[in-house]
Amino acid sequence: MAEAVSPTTSKKPETPRIGVFICHCGTNIAGSIDIDAVKEYAKTLPNVAYVDDYKYQCSMPGQVNIREQIDANKLTGVVVAACTPRLHEPTFRAASKDGGLNPFRFEMANIREQNSWVHMHDREGATEKAKDAVRIAVAKAALLEDLYPKSVPVERAAMVVGAGVAGMQAALDLANAGIKTYLIEKEPSIGGRMSQLDKTFPTLDCSQCILTPKMVDVGRAENIVLMVNSEVEDVEGYIGNFDVTIRRKATGVLSPEEAEAKGIVGGGCTGCGDCGPVCPVTKPNEFEMNMAPRKAIYIYHPQVVPLLYTIDWDSCVKCGLCVEACGEKKAIDLEMQDELVQVKVGTVILATGYEVFPIENKEEWGYKRYDNVITSLEFERLICASGPTGGHLVRPSDGETPMRIGFVLCAGSRDNTGIGKPYCSRFCCMYSLKHAHQIIEKIPGAVPYIFYMDIRSFGKMYEEFYYRIQDEGAKFIRGRVSNIQEDPVTKNVTVYVEDTLLGRPMEIELDMVVLAAAVQPTELTNKTRKLFGVSCSQDGWLLEAHPKLNPCGTTTAGVFLAGACQGPKDIPDSVAQAEGAASAASIPIHKGEVELEPYYAMCIEEKCAGCGMCVNLCPYQALSLVEKDGRTVMQVTEAKCKGCGTCGGFCPGGAIWMNHFATPQIVAQIDAFLLGGEQ
Amino acid sequence: MATKNYPDPILNEKLRDRYYHRDQSNPEFTKEIEKIAGTMAHMCFQCGTCTAGCPSAPRSSYRIREFMRRAVLGLEDEALTDPDLWFCTTCYSCTDRCPRDLAPTDVIMAMRNLAARRDIVPVNFLKTVQAIYSSGHGVPNNDVNRAAREKLGMTRDPPTTSMYPEYIKGIQKILDHYGLKERADRIIKEREG
Ligand SMILES: Cc1cc2nc3c(=O)[nH]c(=O)nc-3n(C[C@H](O)[C@H](O)[C@H](O)COP(=O)(O)OP(=O)(O)OC[C@H]3O[C@@H](n4cnc5c(N)ncnc54)[C@H](O)[C@@H]3O)c2cc1C
Ligand code: SF4
Ligand code: SF4
Repeated sequence: MAEAVSPTTSKKPETPRIGVFICHCGTNIAGSIDIDAVKEYAKTLPNVAYVDDYKYQCSMPGQVNIREQIDANKLTGVVVAACTPRLHEPTFRAASKDGGLNPFRFEMANIREQNSWVHMHDREGATEKAKDAVRIAVAKAALLEDLYPKSVPVERAAMVVGAGVAGMQAALDLANAGIKTYLIEKEPSIGGRMSQLDKTFPTLDCSQCILTPKMVDVGRAENIVLMVNSEVEDVEGYIGNFDVTIRRKATGVLSPEEAEAKGIVGGGCTGCGDCGPVCPVTKPNEFEMNMAPRKAIYIYHPQVVPLLYTIDWDSCVKCGLCVEACGEKKAIDLEMQDELVQVKVGTVILATGYEVFPIENKEEWGYKRYDNVITSLEFERLICASGPTGGHLVRPSDGETPMRIGFVLCAGSRDNTGIGKPYCSRFCCMYSLKHAHQIIEKIPGAVPYIFYMDIRSFGKMYEEFYYRIQDEGAKFIRGRVSNIQEDPVTKNVTVYVEDTLLGRPMEIELDMVVLAAAVQPTELTNKTRKLFGVSCSQDGWLLEAHPKLNPCGTTTAGVFLAGACQGPKDIPDSVAQAEGAASAASIPIHKGEVELEPYYAMCIEEKCAGCGMCVNLCPYQALSLVEKDGRTVMQVTEAKCKGCGTCGGFCPGGAIWMNHFATPQIVAQIDAFLLGGEQ
Repeated sequence: MATKNYPDPILNEKLRDRYYHRDQSNPEFTKEIEKIAGTMAHMCFQCGTCTAGCPSAPRSSYRIREFMRRAVLGLEDEALTDPDLWFCTTCYSCTDRCPRDLAPTDVIMAMRNLAARRDIVPVNFLKTVQAIYSSGHGVPNNDVNRAAREKLGMTRDPPTTSMYPEYIKGIQKILDHYGLKERADRIIKEREG
């Protein structure tokens, strides 16, 4: 909130008076640093008016002491030598504020993470380093100034990008909390990967049956503005005020509302399906993993939300037969163009999910070379009653029912060769157990062989599920498949594996092999995340603000993560994170305003030559040139500035200072270090 | 380690103490292997991909994965005295496919190096050294081979030391530099008298 500390309450005497508080952190610090030596040393430093130490500085008595000493010693600045500012800077800022100081008069010296924990076996060296850290912090504290955080109003709307189960859940929660929510999905229907699944582990409930009610809710929710066939094109602004440009791809088909807006009364697509049969173009249906046909005007499956046909422009020949079939509804417009829509939102949730790694890159397993080697997602469609074979699992080579089926786990996961992925894809063990169950249930006498390194059944009721599948007759062979060979005549596939528990190599002829292929972030995710300034980890998954304490947040304020886009996650985990992200994203909106840290750049106008070079350098478009007193000078839009320092580091005239990291403050720190306190 | 004294040697072996005790591990052995092989042998997670594709495994008791395990645990004696060590064909299939990107083949080569330092080398390998010394070839050319070559329209002898025996001297010089032949002769003599 804006009311921080009013300037009048912070007293500013001529010379700085700094209080230094050294924390033992139990034995975390005191175990490897001589606290008394550091304390005695601190007393000799210039501007230091008071020195104290305490077992746990962050505890209530520790905080109260800071407050009391500020008053008793007329302190102008506080230094706490303890842990990382990421943990307790807010604590000690609050304590300083309670003592009547501006909270930005506080400086922290890290003598734990960067010292006692890494120099456990060098007490003398660690103690000297702690002295350095205290000296440097004191030098800065003497020059700190009062700063006042700015508050900006938050737009009462949110955006969710990606409408898989995670994005849908997040959007529903936000909408139910009374927040207008834009749900952006690149595909023609919402539902994501879950809508392609047959059953779901470990309960084995039908995926569509539990998902479609949610899809319908999303389609109906008053507070949700659903945009399918849409992508984020551009993002400007910051928490509370994101200006997002959405590209709505031309679908060639008008919804009833769009038709009405165009004056076509009672028109628009009703999903009647009259157009499909007349279309002369046939293409593979991506939703069915290309194992079933669709037309150039199509829907993925009967339960799509919204129920609107879409034209695939790459294959449409514009013959106009569909327009005729549609007739009076006049829903089809073969000349439709992409549309750019601008929306303003306060917070954003990314829920862009995953895609399957191109497992043909691991050539030893023969995917795309051997007919009867398929991926798990293809298996889902083949075993699904609404899939291309009506739920009859068949061999792609001859349509026969396979009786001996192998499941290759960790296909492309846990792979450090540079071809596959080093991480565990997390849900493949469990869904492969599910697949084993499905064939035992559907095909009498069929035997599943599960080739595994470890079965990772870590969730609630998951180990029990493993127990059940083993009891049902699945054969478990503990070994990673080295290679697969196809018999050119029978098209049977032979798997080479070592039963590592027996220590015997095995040669097992099977009718079909299912590769539990690794997953990776979707292709478009990288573009989208960059637009929002969100980082990714080395493996491409979107990076959370803190893996334990802030798993839904990102380092960009106001942008949150949900579902598998942050790392492989099954449905329960995706939904849980989505609800967490929705809650986090609604907080700034309900508060109505957000406080921005006052670390923005500051133009020293007398020094500014108005060259404007910084304006283009700023990654956040926070700078501009303005006329002031007949001169051109740079001006900072404080709400946009993230305090990254790019401009300050560059300015040839030294005319830009970063608040709280101002040039004199940094120079004082460097001097303090280099001169060793002998000024 | 307690050994029991049964009159039957087979029974004696079967009833031997099987516990692993920490003192059987030599951590230096793991480091030495890694230094020679240039691969992080201690990172093997025992998936068995190597053995599964090994051409030697289905025809012998050789298990590359077990040697990797011995490298991880530093089981020096067990690794170096196991005659299976010499069944690797060095085809590098395992190295191609190992998901941990290790080079099991090079681990085998490192172990063979260390075994050789202790004079643990099968006689047939040593005889190969002798053959190379005398002919420049591990498998010298013979008449059957020569006839086959001629039938295929090739020269009777390949363009190697078979055709240019004057170069054998050079090869001998290299082997002498490392004292390989001398060593082979000595060990064979010790074993075969
Ligand atoms: C074969 C298989 C079987 C499985 N079986 C089970 C199971 O039985 N039980 C279980 O709990 N889990 C199972 N899973 C895991 C399950 O699929 C995931 O947990 C779940 O789909 C994750 O949901 P999500 O919303 O995070 O991602 P997704 O389902 O991938 O949804 C992401 C959505 O975002 C859209 N999108 C992506 N990028 C963008 C962009 N840049 N802009 C706009 N939109 C975008 C996508 O089109 C998609 O609709 C299985 C997975 C596989 C591969
Ligand atoms: S979930 Fe199981 S199969 Fe998938 S990568 Fe992890 S360990 Fe391997
Ligand atoms: S393939 Fe690699 S990781 Fe797997 S058992 Fe062999 S050496 Fe170990």
